[in-house]
Amino acid sequence: MLKTVDELRRAAVEIRKNLLELCSVQVIHIGGDLSVADIMTVLWQYQMKYNPNDVNDENRDRFVLSKGHASAVTSFCQAAIGCFSKDDVIREYATDEGRFSMHSCNLVNPYVEVSTGSLGHGFPVACGMAAALKHKGNTENRVYAVMGDGEQSEGSVWEAAMNAVRYKLGNLVAIVDFNGLEADGRIEDVTALGDIAEKYRVFGFNVLEFDGNDIAKIKEAFDSLPPADSDVPTVFICHTTKGKGVDFMENQARWHAGKITKEQYEECCKILEETL
Amino acid sequence: MSVALNDEKYFLRDIIGNYMYDLGVKNDKVMLVNADLMGTCRNRKFAEEFPDRAFNVGIAEQNMVSFAAGLAHEGYIPYAFSMAPFLTMRACEQCRTDVAYANLNVRMMGTYAGLSGGISGATHWSIEDVAIMAAMPNVTVVEVSEPNQAVQIMDQSLDFKGPMYIRSSVEPVFKLYDDDYKHKIGKASIVKEGSDGAIICSGVVVKYALEAANALKADYGKDIRVVDMHTIKPVDREAVVSAAQTGNLIVAQDHNIYGGLGSIVATVLAEEGCVTKFKNIGISDVFVAMAHAPYLYGKFGYDAKGLYNSMKDMLGVK
Repeated sequence: MLKTVDELRRAAVEIRKNLLELCSVQVIHIGGDLSVADIMTVLWQYQMKYNPNDVNDENRDRFVLSKGHASAVTSFCQAAIGCFSKDDVIREYATDEGRFSMHSCNLVNPYVEVSTGSLGHGFPVACGMAAALKHKGNTENRVYAVMGDGEQSEGSVWEAAMNAVRYKLGNLVAIVDFNGLEADGRIEDVTALGDIAEKYRVFGFNVLEFDGNDIAKIKEAFDSLPPADSDVPTVFICHTTKGKGVDFMENQARWHAGKITKEQYEECCKILEETL
Repeated sequence: MSVALNDEKYFLRDIIGNYMYDLGVKNDKVMLVNADLMGTCRNRKFAEEFPDRAFNVGIAEQNMVSFAAGLAHEGYIPYAFSMAPFLTMRACEQCRTDVAYANLNVRMMGTYAGLSGGISGATHWSIEDVAIMAAMPNVTVVEVSEPNQAVQIMDQSLDFKGPMYIRSSVEPVFKLYDDDYKHKIGKASIVKEGSDGAIICSGVVVKYALEAANALKADYGKDIRVVDMHTIKPVDREAVVSAAQTGNLIVAQDHNIYGGLGSIVATVLAEEGCVTKFKNIGISDVFVAMAHAPYLYGKFGYDAKGLYNSMKDMLGVK
């Protein structure tokens, strides 16, 4: 596990380079992978208690990728802690007998806690898992659920939000990757999502809102989490940039999914290195 | 027509809902999830006795099923209760993606099966649920017909691997078997033997089939077998083939004729090369206005009189 902001910044650059390498051989959901890459890096390489050698360890933190299309960044984050290798992901991604796909699938990859893809499912399932942990008397571990901002349009998200407060799931941490874009364009043009932080606040959540591409801010947010056995669920509203780190992808809805050339990959890596 | 049955009424939701308490005593992994129909589903005793194992998620069936999936991921055996239409249609994708895809030990418990919602109207009927749930890989589909069978299936559900959908009627049912009859998930129960014809059915229809068979015996001396196919998927193929050997086969269901027990049995008949007369009786692919359930069963021909007449015609007796 990593400790310092500098180490984590470097790790996030590595994750982005992994993503772009894969993106040079396959179409991936690169925009949303890049927006959430910093959050995922801190989550997997700093915050979560997770033993890559025992996926059923009772004393693990649970991770549910509610925005199931961010499967590539999840796989690279899991590779970074030794679940498998980065090259496994690049070699097997979206291949017929491969373990890694456009949306995370537990049938072939045991490190996928919950198979997801259709939006508005992972978060409610995570609530059930959090309730189960409480019932087991597990006061140490948490359930992390990463959602998209467009995903907030799904009614099931708000059904689950009410339920999480009702059942005092203080071990639940919802993370919203608020990159401002969904498949058909800008969030505010597609739906009146409004003040998402205020919405969760009135539902009864402990709400933290910050720049989700700022490693220091992300680390600070995780450090400030109330104990897992507290009574109030937490949500992070992470303001991010879709396509973050690659200038021609940033804030471009058309880079929701796509592929780049080898030359673009190499150029992007250079630029990413220079940010360090 | 003669009816030769004990006429004491039982209600499956009372039996199943109250028996949840017994399951809770037998197995501490049993949990109960409901969406504001604790009373309707008779879940209150469990909730009062095991408050830390009972969850009421409010009127949010999607969330109920996903939440149950989360509990099952952590090793619990959640029973998620609602009216069958809301469970299988409002929460259809949750049943499929969160429960069936993950092959979890969730028990999806649907009351108000078929037209039993009666005067509540079509919003509260469940005439598509068997087709929907049987189409989901991994899901075992069961419909219970009477009190003793319901309890035995509930007991077996404790150790059963994978998701189960258990539908049940809110219409009254009657005891159809001796107390020592052994029901087994996946194996049809035989209510009455017979070789002149057979009626394959499930749930509330079984009683009507038995009444029709008894009347045909009294009126014409015909022995009609009544096959209670409580496990609709996977269907008991052997029982289907054997019933077809009578040459006169009716399937009757409290469900649309498309995708229900009739469709499933017909596939077996074709695959096994069975040669028999065959009639598929159920809701004839229409929506109709509300009415009391027994009236509707008569309208669609799967009450005792309707089944009697269909089998009489098939047998060619006058």
